[in-house]
Amino acid sequence: MKQYLITFRSVTYAQRGERSLGGRGISGSLSRTPKWMEQQGCGYGLTLRGANIYRAVDALRQDGVSWRRVYVLENGKYQEIAL
Amino acid sequence: MIYLDNGATSFPKPPQVVRAAEEAMVRAANPGRGGYKAAMAAAEIVFDCREQAAALFSCKPEQVVLTANCTHGLNIAIGSLFGDGSRVLISGFEHNAVTRPLYARGCKVKIAGRRLFCWEELLDSFRRELRQGVDGAVFTHVSNVFGYILPVNEMAAECRAAGVPFVLDAAQSAGSLPVDFGALGAEFIAMPGHKGLLGPQGTGLLLCGDPGKPLLFGGTGTLSREKTMPEDLPERLEAGTVNVPGAAGLAAGIRLVRGMTPEKIFARGHGQTMACGRALEEMGYRVFTGPHQAMTLSFQGKADCEEIAEALGSRGIAVRAGLHCAPLAHESAGTLEKGTVRISFGHDASPAQTNALLRALGA
Repeated sequence: MKQYLITFRSVTYAQRGERSLGGRGISGSLSRTPKWMEQQGCGYGLTLRGANIYRAVDALRQDGVSWRRVYVLENGKYQEIAL
Repeated sequence: MIYLDNGATSFPKPPQVVRAAEEAMVRAANPGRGGYKAAMAAAEIVFDCREQAAALFSCKPEQVVLTANCTHGLNIAIGSLFGDGSRVLISGFEHNAVTRPLYARGCKVKIAGRRLFCWEELLDSFRRELRQGVDGAVFTHVSNVFGYILPVNEMAAECRAAGVPFVLDAAQSAGSLPVDFGALGAEFIAMPGHKGLLGPQGTGLLLCGDPGKPLLFGGTGTLSREKTMPEDLPERLEAGTVNVPGAAGLAAGIRLVRGMTPEKIFARGHGQTMACGRALEEMGYRVFTGPHQAMTLSFQGKADCEEIAEALGSRGIAVRAGLHCAPLAHESAGTLEKGTVRISFGHDASPAQTNALLRALGA
């Protein structure tokens, strides 16, 4: 089961993302993002387990929720992916 | 006590509001800062408040900025749009929360509409001033002194047609009259959380169609390495810790208002206001009522207005007397010297309240 992390500019946008995905049956877990991911310091993200990341990103686009980056967890490390 | 001072704040707060605020104080830490359970609980409370407001006022949650009160929101809005020398059009019924920030910033204030309850005169002069050229407009939805409902949909349409940015002061209308952010097209709509929305004192909302300029600078919980405030709303305009218990109570208050519906709240309050006005007139008081009346009215008697309010207070009736922080409105209505006694009904308006007031006045 793949795990993804979508990062956002603020907790409010992360919460908007959580609601947007939740409304489409995609559950995400809201948390602080690891420090190395946020060059500008402090951010929030949504962790998705086993979700279709393309469907999730489409949902965010449709609802006008902007995100910063998308990562996939592979071999215990997060790798940024372009979508 | 019979409470008829809802124009100042709603009181007493509904039990749901009290419980929500109390629970937040024992369950929620600082929102948007940590990632632990109590911090995330606080973030959830604050976001819930934004969602409730967004649903009631037809905007997005991130457009809802939490403020300390309506005055705070108006100061952000006015500071964002206007500066020294800006020509700003206002109505003749504005509160000091509008006029003082404008004068403090060196704006050139133009006034349209001085006749109480007369939409035609207001719209004529408003259009005339717009044609002559202004940099923006700020106007109230309802006069806090007289309960006069201004034709804000028409004024907004005139501003949009002229390409003039505007700010709506919804201090006396949020929760009892339709306020549709998307349809109005305002740059900003400011409102208290503690009046018609039934939240705790010290809460307010600023609905933003413009990124705005921060009034306060400081921590926002994100993008901490940046030397400037974030570009994104709402954090851009919310430096420092927000009032989490206040947001919890306000969310509960907005839920109540949405459940009751602003239309029904208005119908009850307006009905009692008009009944009260008719009875006061029969008793010989000078009553200021008209065709566009909300849930508030002013009156004058033979005695000084402060004496009337004090006498009512001693009989357990809470009303407000004086200028109500709106000297411009009194100047427009010709009541600046004497002031008025103001009665303002709330979501719980009832004939029992009207009858108690009239009995106390000797009916």
